[in-house]
Amino acid sequence: MSPMNNPQDLNPSSLKSRFTTRFLRALTKINGQKPISSSSPREMFQRYRRIKVAADKSMAWSVRSRRTWSRAMLWKLRSRYSCRQASSSRRSSVRTSTIIKSRQAKTSHEKENKNTTTGQDEVGFVVQADKLRKLVPGGEAMDLCNLLGETAHYIKCLTTQVQVMRKIAHFYSL
Amino acid sequence: MEPNTGTAETRSNGTASDGDDVAALESLQFTDEIHRLISATTTNNASSFTALLELPAPEAVELLHSPESAKLMAAPAPNIEDFKASFHFPSNSGLIERAARFSLFAGVGNNNNNTSNSPETPSNNPSANPQKAVKSEPAETESSEPLVSDPTVEKRCIKRKDREKKVKGSTKKSKTAMNESSEDAEKLPYVHVRARRGQATDSHSLAERARREKINARMKLLQELVPGCSKISGTALVLDEIINHVQFLQRQVEILSMRLATVNPRIDFDLDSIFTTESGSLMDSNFPSMVMPLVWPEVQVNGNRQQYQQQWHFDALQQAVWGREEVCNNYITPENSLLSYDSSANSATLHSNQMKMEL
Repeated sequence: MSPMNNPQDLNPSSLKSRFTTRFLRALTKINGQKPISSSSPREMFQRYRRIKVAADKSMAWSVRSRRTWSRAMLWKLRSRYSCRQASSSRRSSVRTSTIIKSRQAKTSHEKENKNTTTGQDEVGFVVQADKLRKLVPGGEAMDLCNLLGETAHYIKCLTTQVQVMRKIAHFYSL
Repeated sequence: MEPNTGTAETRSNGTASDGDDVAALESLQFTDEIHRLISATTTNNASSFTALLELPAPEAVELLHSPESAKLMAAPAPNIEDFKASFHFPSNSGLIERAARFSLFAGVGNNNNNTSNSPETPSNNPSANPQKAVKSEPAETESSEPLVSDPTVEKRCIKRKDREKKVKGSTKKSKTAMNESSEDAEKLPYVHVRARRGQATDSHSLAERARREKINARMKLLQELVPGCSKISGTALVLDEIINHVQFLQRQVEILSMRLATVNPRIDFDLDSIFTTESGSLMDSNFPSMVMPLVWPEVQVNGNRQQYQQQWHFDALQQAVWGREEVCNNYITPENSLLSYDSSANSATLHSNQMKMEL
């Protein structure tokens, strides 16, 4: 096997490579934790959730914290994780989740107030802007101009994420 | 013509009738006058006059003073005409003076005409001079008047043009003033917007314009990122498309993570394999990913990756594979698929690796 198949193979510092390494690491960890033989739906679902979280987390980590959305996502994940860790039982997790939700609601409400006070010049895009804010992590606290920039970067990162995951899945299925 | 000659003859008669002495004196005076005239005329006019004048003058004197002049008068028949021509001097001189005045008055264009007119008229038709002169005078006056009027008209036109220019200049000045104000605004920090013609130049509108331009630039970027968005016109629709795309991508991540959860994980995979599949070729080999991050830099340094990989995955797999029987089953199936895969040198080595794995 010649290593010369891909001369331009890897840019070790590119987003894609960084994400891939992290994600694979996380995947192996997840796969190593529990046996896959038990294919109960609940466990499957849990695994799915964990994998998804791992994907998002690894993506955000690859961006480090250069972007608002990555910072917001990391903060969200960490807070959720810490809350979950603090509470061992399900009830407490539910409580913590509600707490988290309320916190988020408060913060988002505050941010929305800020937005209304700052005002928006383009009246026609309020609906779309709100939708976008919900989609992009950490989008509530941004004005339209920054929001658009963040969405651009977020889309780029999402596309790389989807690409890599698809390749892995394809690789797995072989 | 005839009265002129008559006057000349009366003059000459007068001078002759007075007596010889008187006639002589008068003739002398006359000659003096003639000389003066000649000199006057010569100063004013072209050389053609002097040529004409010089000839008849002495002959005219002889004609006047002596009865023998009859002979002279009879003999030089053409001289009469010249003499007659000579007696046109005063009128001619007056003409010439007027012509000079006109020439001064009229200006450049007509000067030549006047001067050309004045010598031409006597040279061509000395007999018809006064009439022509008289006629030409009003013509000249007429010509002079339009000339006079023309400069005034020109002046008026010039004035109009100046006014227009001034108006234009004022508009230009206003534009420049606007531009200057916009430039002044540009000199302020942070505001880097060039105010176009006809746009407001206060700071608020400038800041808004800067914002709008930023937003438009970002929207263009987004349009390029999202496939199929460049054709759509109108920011609302573009935003809708962008939102749809983001939602689609997030859903894709969820689906893929589901898939990854359901599909049984193979422990062995590496970055290189993923990227080789990307390019369309087969993976190089397999080794446990647990070891990979440690091995990877070493592997890159070394040219011979396969040896390392084989060692590693053999050792690691022993721990991993034997613990799970079902994993072995899973390993078999991918191996079969690999066997069915398009073969190349890579696949051969792969197959060997797979065999080792089974062991």
